[in-house]
Amino acid sequence: MISLIDAPPDKSLKIVGFVGGHGVRRRLLSLGFHKNDIIEIDSRSILRGPVLVRDLTSDTSVALGRGIAQKIMVEIIDKDK
Amino acid sequence: MTKISKHPDIIFIGQPNSGKSTLFNAIAGLKAQTSNFPGTTVMHTHSKVNVEGDILNIIDLPGTYSLNPSDPAEKVALSHLFLEKPDLIVNVIDASILGRSLELTLELIELGYPMIIALNMIDLAENKGMEIDFKKLEHALGVPVVPTIALHGRGIKELLDRARQCLDSGTEPPQIPWSRDVEEKIEEFERELPEDFPVVSNKRFTAIKMIEASQLLFDKMLQEINLPLKKILDRVRYDLQSRHNSPAYEVIAAERHHLALKIFEETTQVKRGRQVSPIEKVDNVIMHPFLGYLVFLGVFLVFFLLIFQIGNPIEELLLNPLTSLSAYLSTKLGTGLLFYLLDGLLQGVGGGLAIVLPYFIPLLFLMSLLEDVGYLARAGFLMDTFMHRIGLHGKSVSPFILGFGCNVPAIVSTRILESKRDRIITSLLIPFIPCSARTTIILALVAFYLGPFWALGFYVFHILLLAILGRIITLFFKIPSPGLILEIPSLKIPSLKNIWGKTYFQLKSFVRFAWPILIIGSVVLGVFQFLNLDKYINLVLSPLVAKGLGLPQELGVTLIFGFLRKELSLIMMLQALDVSYLDLMTVVSKQQLIVFTVFISFFIPCLSTVAILWKEIGRKIAFISIALNTGVALVLAFIVRWVLEL
Repeated sequence: MISLIDAPPDKSLKIVGFVGGHGVRRRLLSLGFHKNDIIEIDSRSILRGPVLVRDLTSDTSVALGRGIAQKIMVEIIDKDK
Repeated sequence: MTKISKHPDIIFIGQPNSGKSTLFNAIAGLKAQTSNFPGTTVMHTHSKVNVEGDILNIIDLPGTYSLNPSDPAEKVALSHLFLEKPDLIVNVIDASILGRSLELTLELIELGYPMIIALNMIDLAENKGMEIDFKKLEHALGVPVVPTIALHGRGIKELLDRARQCLDSGTEPPQIPWSRDVEEKIEEFERELPEDFPVVSNKRFTAIKMIEASQLLFDKMLQEINLPLKKILDRVRYDLQSRHNSPAYEVIAAERHHLALKIFEETTQVKRGRQVSPIEKVDNVIMHPFLGYLVFLGVFLVFFLLIFQIGNPIEELLLNPLTSLSAYLSTKLGTGLLFYLLDGLLQGVGGGLAIVLPYFIPLLFLMSLLEDVGYLARAGFLMDTFMHRIGLHGKSVSPFILGFGCNVPAIVSTRILESKRDRIITSLLIPFIPCSARTTIILALVAFYLGPFWALGFYVFHILLLAILGRIITLFFKIPSPGLILEIPSLKIPSLKNIWGKTYFQLKSFVRFAWPILIIGSVVLGVFQFLNLDKYINLVLSPLVAKGLGLPQELGVTLIFGFLRKELSLIMMLQALDVSYLDLMTVVSKQQLIVFTVFISFFIPCLSTVAILWKEIGRKIAFISIALNTGVALVLAFIVRWVLEL
């Protein structure tokens, strides 16, 4: 289990949980980010910027600031994107 | 609340970017009578529509991801929904992201009001290879489903017909049960709700919302008014949490999520796997960690130069007849009151037409284009890193960019920010963004007389200043920003009709509200000049204007009028100095021109901006904003003067 910020960009990932406050959890839930969803990292911006994440289960793209991305715990699914 | 109108209320609700407003406009286009309140469009737009003889009262609510609000714009949507029972809900869905969108739909079904679904953008869904079985979807949800393409007006007629049927029958959607154990817990709590409990719509919905409610405020209130019920609520939440190993609200959200995905899978076939479409290829460049920033700079350079290239020749073309007309007036009428009145009128009307509109229209058009393509959210992603440096995050980028059009809607749009802190900081910074009025001044004075690259430098200077001020303002706030969570909608090829519609709408409000102020201001100045009143005002302001800023003393009075509308200072400047636009440089120096523009750009936000700040954020912030802007304008104007004199 690693945080989304440390996850490799070329692998499918599964959300295993969220750490941190209720506010962030609720906002992620309402955007369609749930536990057990499969996600991918689409792009990272330079200079410690945000991560662009695509949720394959809900089919949405969301930009997450680093602080938020750190709070999403994922595990690598053994298959290439 | 009591309903005054006997016309049926129809509420449009959907997730952001579902094309809700496009659909609303497509329908309101058929209208017999409308009432659009400018400035409140982020709140809700009402429109009375005549459909085959029946008047319907249609309400467009801001987009919301769920019925558990997290930002002020969503709260507006929900308070309206909960306070007034509508006769019908039209749930607008982006068909290309059906799976996720159904989560809100399921929540609306829980609400239990008569409802119909507009499955919008089906063309996008088809392009993605999705095949949706509408009948099956209708059956699974128990709610009528009408496929639409709002952009091309397709499906609107059927939507209205079926809406009519729903209104007549008043059928409420059947409830779709969740997993047994969750359902049991909800029923358990539902039974405990006292008879006189203030129920929203129905007991089940109220029970669910209470279990889901955010901890602090609501729980505290319940504890005060009904402690036994609060204890039962805590127990139900605890049971759900211990059985599913997640907080109760997450358990309920997961129920909806699974149900939504199940319905999605049952009703939709995805024919081909994810392919990279040409648009996605473009998107990859726009969002590229390195190229993206080059594109960003390019977009704004082109944006700026294009406005200048379009506006400049038109301005020159229109100015000539105006100047000769003014000269003609002066030879015919001498220096009587009539001359001052007519000349003021001419300056106001002509100034608006020849100096303001040539830049204003292309600016509005290009802003709407950027908005509709979906570039604003992408700019938010790209700029997040830099926004963090000034203590904000990427979501503030979109209000900032809107600010280049007009500061007023930009301040209203800060409602998309979840935290009060971010709203205050962003709103204090927005008045430092050169809006279209100030862009006009910069283009008409700096670019016209000194060249476009001087004007570009002015823009860069504005942005640098914004960054520095942001940095300083955030020092006053202890809590950090909550961080970026921003949906990136798919890039869309915009419709010219829509963009022109938006441009026209804003243009209309300029012609109706701002232009009269310009004209009245110019006429009042004409009267002042006739009565020599302007001399006294100028004399009082002289220590600041002449001594402090080194400007011609006659400009004092124009600064005061600039508070009403920024362009007014520009138009009155010519009037006050009694020169034609093309001869301006004969009476002021290059240096004076720059000092004047700097001071006018930053000096006290215009009247409408102050008013909206007061209304949206509060009186204190409005006054802080006035003080901040005036202080910065003074300091900068002094520095610029000093530097230029070196």
